[in-house]
Amino acid sequence: MIQLLTGFKQLWHEKLAFKIAASYMLLLLALVLALPVLPIAYSPNELDLHYTFARPLTKGSDAWHWLGTDVLGRDVWANILYGARSAMMISFPVMLFSTVLGLVAGTSAGFFGNNSLKVSRAAALVSVLSLSAIFYYALYLPLSLHSTDLPLKYTWLSLLFLLLILLVLHKALLPLLKKWRFAEVQLSLPLDYLVLRLTEAFTSIPRLLLILALASFLQPSVVLLSIIFAATFWTSTARLARAEMLKIKQLPYFEAAQSIGVPRMQLLARHALPNMLGPVVVTFTFGLAGLLALESTLSFLGIGVPGTFVSWGRTIAGIRSNTSAWWLVVFPGIALAATVWALQTISYHLLNYFGERK
Amino acid sequence: MLQYIFKRFLLSLPALWLLVTLVFLLSRLLTGTPGEEQILQDGGGFYSKGSTASREKAYISYLERTGQNLPLFYFTIKATPEPDTLHLVHPEAHRTFLKQLHWQYGNPVAVNRYFTSIKNLEQALGTAHKNHFQPYFESLYQTTSPEIIKQALASFPKVVSNASINTEVAEWEAAGENLIQEQNTYTYLLPSFRWHGTANQYHIWFINALQGDMGISFRDSRPVNTILYDAMANTWWLILISIIVAFMISFELGMLLAMPQSIKLRKLLLPSLFIIDSIPLFLLALLLLVLLATPSFLQLFPVFGLGYHTMQGGSWLQRIGILSQYMALPAICLTLSNIPYLTSLIYRSFSEESKKDYARTAKAKGFSERQVIRTQLLRNTLLPTITVLSEALPALVAGAIVVETIFAIPGMGRLLVDAVLARDYPVIVAIVLVVAVFRVVLYLLADVGYSLADPRIRHAAS
Repeated sequence: MIQLLTGFKQLWHEKLAFKIAASYMLLLLALVLALPVLPIAYSPNELDLHYTFARPLTKGSDAWHWLGTDVLGRDVWANILYGARSAMMISFPVMLFSTVLGLVAGTSAGFFGNNSLKVSRAAALVSVLSLSAIFYYALYLPLSLHSTDLPLKYTWLSLLFLLLILLVLHKALLPLLKKWRFAEVQLSLPLDYLVLRLTEAFTSIPRLLLILALASFLQPSVVLLSIIFAATFWTSTARLARAEMLKIKQLPYFEAAQSIGVPRMQLLARHALPNMLGPVVVTFTFGLAGLLALESTLSFLGIGVPGTFVSWGRTIAGIRSNTSAWWLVVFPGIALAATVWALQTISYHLLNYFGERK
Repeated sequence: MLQYIFKRFLLSLPALWLLVTLVFLLSRLLTGTPGEEQILQDGGGFYSKGSTASREKAYISYLERTGQNLPLFYFTIKATPEPDTLHLVHPEAHRTFLKQLHWQYGNPVAVNRYFTSIKNLEQALGTAHKNHFQPYFESLYQTTSPEIIKQALASFPKVVSNASINTEVAEWEAAGENLIQEQNTYTYLLPSFRWHGTANQYHIWFINALQGDMGISFRDSRPVNTILYDAMANTWWLILISIIVAFMISFELGMLLAMPQSIKLRKLLLPSLFIIDSIPLFLLALLLLVLLATPSFLQLFPVFGLGYHTMQGGSWLQRIGILSQYMALPAICLTLSNIPYLTSLIYRSFSEESKKDYARTAKAKGFSERQVIRTQLLRNTLLPTITVLSEALPALVAGAIVVETIFAIPGMGRLLVDAVLARDYPVIVAIVLVVAVFRVVLYLLADVGYSLADPRIRHAAS
């Protein structure tokens, strides 16, 4: 953490591009946070139907349209500001979530490999059974009960039933099985193989294609789209975390910690994770840039997001109904490109910084 | 060598299978029945003239034609009250009603008897009374709780006094009583496992896909293969032209940047390439469209489509002439978006090679910088770019989706976007499969090319 902060400081003083990019991002963040108190005359979805396709610097019915309006008279300036907020509200949580997901998958794949995570047959059986019970009673049944409008007491009953089953599985079945020699045999879980195949499956077609296909199966919704993003973005962090973990495993300090018997969780959390923080931050910012571009592309195509979702992509899409309305492309386009540029610059300089240190 | 390639091919199969199966199953699981909306629409439309019964028939025959009447997978694990053939029940309101009944009472025999008795009663009343009773039946089709069903049973005889339907009314009352008495609510806590055998949608789709048959489009009932084939031809040319041009330009730029005397050029070009790289492709395409193809600025290129309407007759030379006008701007977009990445990679590769001993030797022997780069380093830097080529092509496919949509080129990308908007799942799944297979083949080709170019790798592999 300290290393990261000194890195930021050093880059801030030495690299002009980094300074510009970082201050742009801070400014954008401040604008987004201050949005509720900013004096903006129009809300982003407010229609000013007398002034459709107004050029920049037109006086509208309430106030000036500084950057013009689109086909329905929505103010471009308001849409740019609120679009920044939407972009951040999608990309930050998604990237955080997928980074955590990728870290868990990648570090465990790298740490355990194919042979070192061992469970007895009894424990494997019990965990498979309890997982399927959890899936059935805590996910499938409540959803079905909700869709059939049955009273809530049925859901409570199913959760109670789940508790009972879990108790029976862990307190009765597991000790019973442990007496049987066949169930005592240790199985090794090929975690590395599984994670690798899964990342391969997710990356074997272009991400945009996969996201378009998945988005078409669901109703247009920001939450569902965020889930799809997270489900497709974890792979890059997972790959990186796996590679870093394999490297760290070979380092003397890590072997020393292992040999004095530091517990696994502590080994991962205190000794491995801090060492891969730098590269993870680099992929995080790089992923943010990719996510921003992807989100605006989807909004532009009108796929996966509801029509009321304020986004730079939606404003830019207005050009398709009137190709001479250049202000619809130029202003949100500059905002989009500048943000992507800033994030990529930050990530590029951080990457160089960490590369030089090694 | 052959053995190695075969092994690589086999290793890439599990991921391919996993992806395609996942996409196929999700496409059927997460969605309702596509096409239902068109059949169900009340106002306007082709199907609206028919009665409910004929609509139901159209719906069933549609399901049978597209194979959607079959179960999805080899087996299902469902809650016991959830019926198997629910998706065959026609109006959607009835389907939810039936589902609710099943979940509430958990007794399939009694529920089916009750549901049929309501339907029979409605039919027996005939069209004469239809308007009068419609609100009553509409509320009946939504009533699931036992108390309200009891009330309805009690209140019905007062509403109607018609001797011809006495048997139906009696049956309905008996079925209702039976339903309430024989209810078995808590069966939902038990899962039930049902085996369907090979007569399921996944098996049929998978076997057909293995034989190269991708099924039939939901949207226009044409075979997916034909649709894909038509679209692929356009995309293929777009991608091929862009990758070749992008590679040529990137190589020239990379070589230019690698020269020691071009410090100024590096300072100018690298940041601007970085900026181009941070403009999303759709924005780049729109900017070029606004700048170069609208009457308000410069109109150098035709905007939309591939100009099929102007191509009636004419020799193939003329056709290519017209086609290239329409293809130019999209190809420029794709090329431009790929240049930054390729150039920086090639530049890095050149500057790494130029540090090696043989480059210094060449310089010592009196070759000029230019000659060193063109004659000595070029061959060795060409090698790693083979892998880059196989990496860049998927990015090009993703780019083609955007560019084709913006410039209205009837290719794969546009087909995908249209299919997504129309929820035409066979086409979507087929495109995913084709692109994934394409990528596997490309990786194998890159492997072969790599080991042909560098004998050391060939030895390492075998």
